[in-house]
Amino acid sequence: MFDQLQTLIWIIIKITVIVLPLLILVAYVTYAERKVIGYIQVRVGPNRVGLKGLLQPFADLIKLVFKEIVVPSRSNPYLFIIAPILSLVPALIAWAVVPFSDGLVLSNINAGVLFLFAVSSLSVYGVLVAGWASNSKYAMFGALRSAAQTVSYEIAMGFSLVGVLMAAGSMNLSQIVAAQSGGIWQWYFLPLLPLFVVFWISGIAETNRAPFDLVEGESEIVAGFHVEYSGVGFALFFLAEYASMVLISVLLSLFFLGGWLSPFEGIPGIEKLFAWIPGFAWLFIKTAFFLFVYIWIRATFPRYRYDQLMRLGWKVLIPVTLVWIAVLGILIKCHCPPWFAI
Amino acid sequence: MNPIPISMLIFYLFAGIAVLSAIMVIASNNPVRGVLFLVVTFIASSGMWMMAQAEFLSLILVLVYVGAVMTLFLFVVMMINIELTSQKRKFSYYLPFGAGIILLLVLMMLIALHPQYFSFGSMPSGVLPKGANTELLGKVLYTNYAYPFIVAGVLLLTAIIAAISLVHRRPRDCKSQQVTEQIKTRRELRVRIVNLPSEKKED
Amino acid sequence: MLEHYFPILVFVAMAFAFGIVLVTAGRLSGGRNPDSEKNSPYECGFSPFESARLPFDVRFYLVAILFIIFDLETAFLFPWALAIRTIGWFGFIAMALFLGLLVIGFIYEWKKGALEWE
Repeated sequence: MFDQLQTLIWIIIKITVIVLPLLILVAYVTYAERKVIGYIQVRVGPNRVGLKGLLQPFADLIKLVFKEIVVPSRSNPYLFIIAPILSLVPALIAWAVVPFSDGLVLSNINAGVLFLFAVSSLSVYGVLVAGWASNSKYAMFGALRSAAQTVSYEIAMGFSLVGVLMAAGSMNLSQIVAAQSGGIWQWYFLPLLPLFVVFWISGIAETNRAPFDLVEGESEIVAGFHVEYSGVGFALFFLAEYASMVLISVLLSLFFLGGWLSPFEGIPGIEKLFAWIPGFAWLFIKTAFFLFVYIWIRATFPRYRYDQLMRLGWKVLIPVTLVWIAVLGILIKCHCPPWFAI
Repeated sequence: MNPIPISMLIFYLFAGIAVLSAIMVIASNNPVRGVLFLVVTFIASSGMWMMAQAEFLSLILVLVYVGAVMTLFLFVVMMINIELTSQKRKFSYYLPFGAGIILLLVLMMLIALHPQYFSFGSMPSGVLPKGANTELLGKVLYTNYAYPFIVAGVLLLTAIIAAISLVHRRPRDCKSQQVTEQIKTRRELRVRIVNLPSEKKED
Repeated sequence: MLEHYFPILVFVAMAFAFGIVLVTAGRLSGGRNPDSEKNSPYECGFSPFESARLPFDVRFYLVAILFIIFDLETAFLFPWALAIRTIGWFGFIAMALFLGLLVIGFIYEWKKGALEWE
């Protein structure tokens, strides 16, 4: 009994070590977003709270916690309160299988990719329940749009994951990264280039970010599914959205950019020069790159129209992935060099 | 004192959640809440499958049933908008149907499965061959069971066609964007350059 | 295998606990000051004139059905992707037939205009 308790406490410590930095990272992603978009639009962004506005996210958090939670009349109060939690939980538990460096992972399961895919399909519930429980027209429309959008892009995402599995021959995330070792040319963004692009686009669409943020479209349905939420409820939706943004960025780095592998691997001379950098630093740099692009895209592209969004998902991304799965299958079966010689 | 193994405890936790939420599915008079309890039931049964070491099936249960089928159910329940009062029919009205179906199910299970599986003495050993569950499944599914696999594909094709012909009605004045035509268009089709002689200024 | 899934179970419990703690904290510290105008659903300053739970476009329903079918195809593709190196050309052709059927359905869907949104 004592033994088991010890294991349990050890697991809880590990989870805290994953979740706490994640929350701080999420806080600073919101800060970075406001700063970067500020500079892109020739403003300075938040600069009052703390040195250069660095304490801004915490000020926001404290403000949101002390706000009243307004429960609309004629809503379903229980579901209304539960919905933000339903949206937060999938965004957090997906991190259980994400490896941060070689062997540095909470649960090294064999079906890691399948787990991630299954968990990400649950995120629809938070949004749908929130939209329905609010009993507000904007919330309902936002939720419906969001559900149809998430569901459409999930297919493209699943098909591109199939490509990754074919190339790596494993669903274990650590083994997928290990299969990409041997220099930057072995990373999957080259042999799986169309799938990389499809995964990237559908990742942005899955997280309901610009230019696919019709769900919140301020100009038409004000804030979409969370229009009735205030205080902590809103904070939880916000947290879930940014946590899944970070998750998609990490997954892009793991699946296509070699995760924690150094880009100078296999190049004599330079490889030694950068050998002191630990693996998770490389992963962090790659993730930060994708996060920056998220923000950059938001500041640059106009929002899609709903018919264009559906067209892109069903008529462009899905055919591309289907064709590339077929091509990849033939390449692997014919042991085509340079990537599939084995 | 013999402590209960943790795995047994977790199994009964999942089983308890599954049974309770299954009861709530039929007990709750709000259809949306009923669907959400059904989701909980599925997640709990997925946990039970995981306890039986069926890793792939357990995750697929979450992916397909919770992630896809229940989303559809939720859509439907939200769409048909049942008035809460109208569906409070008498319990006894549905009882014969329910009892009949339960009887049928139990009979089918008794015929399909040998009764000996229901005793505690003959639990499956629970030891699977080493290696990834999914890969082993893949090795037999596409070779030994290729024929049922293709039949499943035909069924899915039928489902696509049936769904479209049942649900899809083309809206009468549908204005959609024709992207290929937009891209193929040339300047001559859109802009006409007319040479106008300059007019003389009237004095 | 199960010992790898135990941390996930703990994680799920902790994530729920985290959410519940935050919501309770918000409930306790936020104060409650309801009034009928504040609590009415937001409708750009107008009073809401009917229930929000209206029947909606049947195409959302169609998208959900098509999603189920494609999700099942993905479920079939996952084990194939892992086993592709060991099942030989026979398994490859089995999947090619399966995907061929899917593509027929997809083309039908496309030609019928089920993917059109105006």
